[in-house]
Order: sequence, then C-alpha cells, then structure tokens
Amino acid sequence: MNVLISGGCKNGKTAFAQDIAVKLSKNGQRYYVATMLPYDDEDRARIARHIDERAGMGFQTLEQPRDIAGCLTEENKSGAFLIDSVTALLVNEMYPDMRMEGADPAAAERCRAGLLNITKEAGNAVFVSDYIYSDAIRYDAFTENYRASLAMLDRSLASVCDTVIELCAGNVIFHKGGIDL
Amino acid sequence: MDLIIGGAYQGKLALAKNKYGLADTDIATCSEASGIRFGAKCIDKLEEFTLWCVRNEKDATEIFRANRGEWKKSILICQDIFCGVVPMGAEERLWREMTGRLCAYLSSEADTVTRVFCGLEQKLK
Repeated sequence: MNVLISGGCKNGKTAFAQDIAVKLSKNGQRYYVATMLPYDDEDRARIARHIDERAGMGFQTLEQPRDIAGCLTEENKSGAFLIDSVTALLVNEMYPDMRMEGADPAAAERCRAGLLNITKEAGNAVFVSDYIYSDAIRYDAFTENYRASLAMLDRSLASVCDTVIELCAGNVIFHKGGIDL
Repeated sequence: MDLIIGGAYQGKLALAKNKYGLADTDIATCSEASGIRFGAKCIDKLEEFTLWCVRNEKDATEIFRANRGEWKKSILICQDIFCGVVPMGAEERLWREMTGRLCAYLSSEADTVTRVFCGLEQKLK
C-alpha cells in the first residue's frame, strides 16, 4: 500500500507516518528515508528530535537527499519505506547550490519520476509532504515556481497512492482510501 | 450553483472541467485588472476578483448579491486564501477577509460545495 500524508506544519505528520510505516512493514523491514540536508542549528535540532522520536521503532535510516529512488535495492525493496519529506527532496533537487538563485528546471520532473518509481518498485511506502497553498500572499516567481512544483508532486502521488490523508492539528482526514489504525 | 474551493495548484479547474465537461470557452477567468464577467458557465479565480474589489473599494459579496440571477447556475471557483497567517500588508488583509466573506456567502447559496486537495474531491456540502 502507498500512502500520501500532507497538511500544515507541526500537525504530527511524521509521527503518524511512522506508525503507518510500522503497520505496512509486515516482514519487519522498515526504512526511514531521510531527505533533509541540514543548513543550520535549527535544522540539526529538528533532525535530532526526529531521530529521538523514532528510536526503538525499528527503522533503518537511509540518507537520500536527492535521487530519491536511489534508496531502493533488490534486497530492501520488499520492506516499507517512509519518505520524509517530498518537500525537502524538492528543495534539494531544485536548488542544488543554495547560494545560487536559479532553480534546476528539470528537478520537479526528476522528483516525480523517482517518487512514482518507489510506488511501483517498493509498493509499500508512506510519503510526507507539506500543504503550503492557502494563504493571502502574492509570492515572487521564485517561490511560486517551488509551490507549483511541489503541488504537482502532491497531485501525482495522490493520483497513484491507495490512501491520501490530510492531518489537521493531529486529526485525520481521509481524502482517498483508508487504513486500519 | 456549485462552488469549488481549495489551495493554489490543487487542480480545482481541472476537476471542474472533468466533472462538468467544460470547454475553455465556458470559462470566464477573473483578473485583478478587470474584475469579473458574469454570465459564463464557469467563473474561475474569484480571488482575483476580490483583489480587484479591494483595489477599487468595492464589496465583493454585495456585487454578487446584486447580480444573483447571473451566477445562480454557474460553477464558481475560488482559491481558499483565507486559511493562512494574517498578512502584514493592509491590502492583503482586506483581500483575505473579503475572500473569506464571499466564500461563506457563496457556500450558503450553493447547491454543492467541493474542496480540492491534491487533485482529489472532498464534498463539503
């Protein structure tokens, strides 16, 4: 089963995604695919908190900030994968050099292909994304390009995933499919 | 009238086209420069109309009330820009509130209200 989880920040998406990944990994093999490249102390603190939170849950951590389907091998792909997050993956692919202003125009399509590859090849994956689409701000073209690209990835995943969930202040809204919790 | 709301880039217009079999000529797209054109089968981007209202000191809900017969059978699409943080700029604050009030009014008048999330349809009414 493939599951997409989105919603606002600090709504409990990662914790919920971990619980689902544990349920999906019937053979006990579960992989936390970490995508974030830390840029400052705030990022490092967030990563440390996530590592603490999943301690004892039996996840093996795979660092895959780019080329997301590169986390799959013949040996591991029967396990369950938690991709956390689509948001960070797209940042890393679109802006390979954070000091440069331009975005890689091929990045979004590359992410889409990689993510869909995981849904097909592994078939037991939970994808975490972020809902950043409902505010009254006219963003610059740089930010709109990112928002449009992330939304494209979300819609692509939503169309192929068995279950699509929005988390709202820790509450679960099913937009597609279901899951035994 | 059918109201479709949702965030930016969620696939609201694509869903409307698919669900109601709309052609491009059925769709009137609002703009912050010229406002709204009533009478079309589908009116898209009401959030552009509300921005036009703010800039021209008009009340979006009043304009809709006054033209009720023109859109009673339309499909109306609006971005739910009223969910985020209160913006710093006065114009954006007014825009956000006017859009929120308009959608609340249109929801009460609508036969159906649909929210689009990642391209998926969520029935609200």
